[in-house]
Amino acid sequence: MRARAVLGGVLSSVAVLVIGWQVGGQTATTASPPTSTSDTSGSGTSGSGTSGTDASGSGTSGSGTSGTSGSAASGSTASGTFLGAVAQTRYGPVQVRIVVSDGTITDVTAPQLTDADGRSVAISAQAAPVLRQEALQAQSAQIQAVSGATFTSEGYTTSLQSAIDQAGL
Amino acid sequence: MTVPAVPVRTFPTMGTVVSLRGADAETAARVRAVFAGYDHRYSRYDPASVLSRVAAGTLRLADTPEEVRDVYALALTWRDRTAGAFTPHRPDGTIDLSGVVKALAVRDAGVLLDAVSPDWMLSAGGDVLVRGTHDGAPWRVGVVDPDRRDALADVVQLDAPRRAVATSGTAERGEHVWRRSVPTFAQVTVVADDIVTADVLATAVLAGDETDLARTTADGTVDVLAFGVDGRAWATPGLAARSCSRMGA
Amino acid sequence: MIDTARPAPRTAPVPRSSHPSTPHPPAVVEPWDVAARRRRRSGRRRLAMADLLVVATWASAAVAVALWLVSPGSHTVTGVSGVLTDAGIVAGLVATDLVLVMLVLAARVPLLDRVVGQDRAIAVHRSLGKPVLFLLLGHGALLTLGYAAADGSGPVAETIALFSSPDMPLAYLGLGLFVLVVVSSLVAVRRRLPYEVWHGIHLLSYAAVLVALPHMLSAGSVLAHGSWQRAYWIALYVLSLGLIAVYRFVVPVVVSLRHRIRVVGVEPIAPGVVSIHLAGRDLDRLGARGGQYGVWRFWTGATWWHAHPVSFSAVPTVDRARITVRDLGAGSARLGRIRPGAAVSLEGPYGLFTTHARTAPYLALVASGIGITPVRALLEDTDLRPGEATVLLRGTDDRQQYLWRETAALADASGSAVCAMVGPRARSRPSWVTEEDLRRGVTLGSVFPHLLESDLYVCGPQSWADLVVQDARRAGVPAHRIHHERFGA
Repeated sequence: MRARAVLGGVLSSVAVLVIGWQVGGQTATTASPPTSTSDTSGSGTSGSGTSGTDASGSGTSGSGTSGTSGSAASGSTASGTFLGAVAQTRYGPVQVRIVVSDGTITDVTAPQLTDADGRSVAISAQAAPVLRQEALQAQSAQIQAVSGATFTSEGYTTSLQSAIDQAGL
Repeated sequence: MTVPAVPVRTFPTMGTVVSLRGADAETAARVRAVFAGYDHRYSRYDPASVLSRVAAGTLRLADTPEEVRDVYALALTWRDRTAGAFTPHRPDGTIDLSGVVKALAVRDAGVLLDAVSPDWMLSAGGDVLVRGTHDGAPWRVGVVDPDRRDALADVVQLDAPRRAVATSGTAERGEHVWRRSVPTFAQVTVVADDIVTADVLATAVLAGDETDLARTTADGTVDVLAFGVDGRAWATPGLAARSCSRMGA
Repeated sequence: MIDTARPAPRTAPVPRSSHPSTPHPPAVVEPWDVAARRRRRSGRRRLAMADLLVVATWASAAVAVALWLVSPGSHTVTGVSGVLTDAGIVAGLVATDLVLVMLVLAARVPLLDRVVGQDRAIAVHRSLGKPVLFLLLGHGALLTLGYAAADGSGPVAETIALFSSPDMPLAYLGLGLFVLVVVSSLVAVRRRLPYEVWHGIHLLSYAAVLVALPHMLSAGSVLAHGSWQRAYWIALYVLSLGLIAVYRFVVPVVVSLRHRIRVVGVEPIAPGVVSIHLAGRDLDRLGARGGQYGVWRFWTGATWWHAHPVSFSAVPTVDRARITVRDLGAGSARLGRIRPGAAVSLEGPYGLFTTHARTAPYLALVASGIGITPVRALLEDTDLRPGEATVLLRGTDDRQQYLWRETAALADASGSAVCAMVGPRARSRPSWVTEEDLRRGVTLGSVFPHLLESDLYVCGPQSWADLVVQDARRAGVPAHRIHHERFGA
């Protein structure tokens, strides 16, 4: 191959790659909001699966330090649920929701997933095994309906639904 | 503070009992008529129903009312979407739309209720569809513990857009679900944006296995709580956030 | 001496004869310096275009990677699994881009033929085979390891899991087919296979490309639905496969139907060598220049499944053309027995062994054995001034002197010098000359008076021609002035 051709090829390739890197870097930075100063656990949530039932916490992995700050108040007594900004992960854009209790993050979930290829979404949304706790009693639960296997008309009379309907709560 | 009792109207239909809140007597009667219409058309227990006659061969599917064919087409679409876990055919090949008819009736009744009331709750034997709030708070639906029918395993809050809950299980009527494989699940609860999706997917996952569960939850449009025959339990992250119980990892 | 002030004397125009082997005297000749300048310019343009194509190829691979850099998520790398997965993705993107380049190189695109010649295009195609295979294997291995690391499972379990993902079994099949194609094309293996078997296996590469496409569209994160990266890649696929469809299939069919070529005579001109006389319509509009070749298929029971690359041994007239072929194996031996009337289909004409490729003032032609065919046609097709061209005819013995008389007549008519060298190659050391000429000190420089200002055209048996080229390079002839037609693909 001629020297001129090789040189031109290498130079143009490098130029294209650099442009791609720059453009890609920009889209990544515009998607992530500035992190809040009190949010020291920003990087702690990536890939470590700190959430309770979110055992496959890799849904939030790869988001780096972005996306977990949202509008968290800087005071250490902040509590509540916050919706983080959209984070760019290898699987596509992911929005996370964090539950803050007394200034520490107690739960992280990804309630909203935009379209991504099949593999990524499966990781964030799939049903993870959970521990069964003891059964609740209906009275303390303040419910208006019960969902279970369909009862027959005869079964209804002895079912929870019947009790709730009669109580009318 | 005393809470005025909301009248709960109930009536038997389709072999189960429907509970309705937030509707007056006249609306309740119209809702009952909707269910009766579906029951009349699609019941496989009534030999005179359209579907029984199709199954017996005395009526051709092409000669049935358009609505029946539309429902059949819908059921076939769901069969494709669930990769066959949900199917409108019994193992002997005859057509059986009972898996989708109850939910369709709830859906149509819901349309009717939306026209007259901003807050209501409709529960048809465990398929629950709601609109609005219950005294300003989201409607709360308990999930029965598959091992004890008088106790709850979980409670789900229904706030928009997730308005529908359906559970498929074997605890009440025994093995009535046509399973595809060795039973993996004993009870599956699906929370979705519409009742037909919730009902069909609950049946599909119950009839299938963990692969079906994974496929169902893959796109994040539904939440699932599943109990296995061996006592294991699965929950999607969204359900864990939405539930008010002590489910934990 | 050529007087540039006055135009060269015109010879009376001769009516174009319909028998191609009668050489006709050259037409009006343009002034020397004008011709030289034109040739230099066209040569520079061609080389610039060739360089541009090389740059475009490198850049296309870079674009493939750059598109991935632009897609979200590529800038965040999480640990070993992230590095492995990213490397696997990049390998796959570059490999796919190069596979499409390989398809375009083999598509017989006229632009490539005019700029670098089909033989060089195929040589580049061949050289890309092994690197692309390694990239594809790397793509599979790195992604499997990366996913396994992310899931915490082993590579075997991950492979099994991947197999159950949609479209992945097809991707594995595509990889296997590609391995088969590349292995069968290794020189050591290809030598042992009959040509048809090798060709059949090679056609599986189309299947490999198509079968691998679904997994790219469904599992590839760069090709997400609706993104313009997806549109770009689909467009590239359409372009490459479209070029193949048009130039390898549609155009030859159109050409063959339009020109209705058929055999009108088979003339043995030497032991094992036949000239096949062809007739057709508007053959002068084929665009065949002297020195080009075509890939011919003769539609008789015994020969239809064999396509032969054969040079035109004369410039086609309106309704006649001639090719000369040497019996090199069972397939070409049967050509000698074709009966007149057989239909012929043509792919081509191809080749850069023409007067168009000249950049230098003088012309040096060296031909041996069957290599005489394109050289004789080239000579016929070039407007030459006396003394501009020198021809060296090489043959082992008197059985290898077919077409020499015609060539000599053409040379005489144009005032070109002809010399002949007959005898087996020297044995004392590897050389393209005979033993006695070696002793006499005959070299390219002594045969061709203006060698360093000439375009050197060489055609003959592979090993002999390579020796000539070697000699020419050693003598200082620049590479772009050595024209060597290789019949390989």
